[in-house]
Amino acid sequence: MRQSRTRSPSEAAKARKQDRLLLRRYHLDGDTTAREELIERHLPLVRSLARRYAGRGESLEDIEQVGAIGLIKAIDRFELEREVSLATYATPNVVGEIKRHFRDKGWSIRVPRALQELNASMSNAIDRLTGRLGRSPSIAEIAAELKSTPEEVLEALEVGSAYSTVSLSTGPGGEEALDPMETIGEEDEGFDQMETRTALEPALGHLPEREREILRMRFNEGLPQTQIADRVGLSQMHVSRLIRKSLSTMRDELA
Amino acid sequence: MRAELIELTTPLSRDYRAVVRLIVGGIAESLDFAFDEVDDLQLAVERLLAEAGQTGSVNISFELGPRSVRTRVGPLRERTIADALQGPPPAPGELNLRRILEAVVDSYGVEDAADGAIYVRLEKVREAR
Repeated sequence: MRQSRTRSPSEAAKARKQDRLLLRRYHLDGDTTAREELIERHLPLVRSLARRYAGRGESLEDIEQVGAIGLIKAIDRFELEREVSLATYATPNVVGEIKRHFRDKGWSIRVPRALQELNASMSNAIDRLTGRLGRSPSIAEIAAELKSTPEEVLEALEVGSAYSTVSLSTGPGGEEALDPMETIGEEDEGFDQMETRTALEPALGHLPEREREILRMRFNEGLPQTQIADRVGLSQMHVSRLIRKSLSTMRDELA
Repeated sequence: MRAELIELTTPLSRDYRAVVRLIVGGIAESLDFAFDEVDDLQLAVERLLAEAGQTGSVNISFELGPRSVRTRVGPLRERTIADALQGPPPAPGELNLRRILEAVVDSYGVEDAADGAIYVRLEKVREAR
């Protein structure tokens, strides 16, 4: 169970000072360990914001992942001369990323509730079947387990796969649904301007450590999703989503 | 012996990626692919299309064998794709399109087409159960 407590004013001031030091180390010296530390320090903020959007047909962990992208963008785009704390600056970025994610999926508008529920139960079903069968289940087996049809399972997987490249590169023209504060720091550019490159390497370093590790296990070690899921303690479906999302994020970073 | 052909022409615009994923998923499911095999094939096609830009359209054909599917994607006009797939292997730890395809499909190849375009072939085989 996560615990939270309110910081005293002196603790908050100390935390802001520490953030400043880390931001300077990252932006002025290129110290990526400072960046990692900043991400870790502010993940509780992301979790707190993500919880506001729970219960909309998507797992909290998925929403946290999306929010973490907003946090990383905020850290990367923070200007040292700003007279604002990183937490204040990051909040609208995180919320904006989460809102955009839901908006791009059209989750609450277009996806029937039954499909949302099917998606929500799919992850457990896949892991349950994998354990029972000793292999990754077929779509038909997942459908039978969930008393559904293969077509519905595929549809639910698609709405749940979520992290299409769209959500990470929607242009600023589509931000009308966001509060002005929530668009601070947004510099996404149109995909049309993207230069085609096949080396994703330069963007790898911008991913959180866990995602980098998952990509390394999948593409360098050649491990199947089931083994990766075991190693990192996530569901197979979540590993699949993280791989897809990470590759899309990296691709968009190169745009 | 089963050898059926499904052909699809789709705009390269990312707006159609979800449709393509759904179709790829449906085809893989018809061959009783496992969840991770379906996911692999979807990822292979998705990454290929992501590297191919956003303008114009592309043909995707699926040749269904008894327990495999051969997917052919093209014409693709981005030479960088062919360079990545036909050039020297990526350095250890390097992540590019070639490394991804090597991990998610059983084999791949590049065919030259007219006007310097290419077609990429991907083969995915269902594991024996």
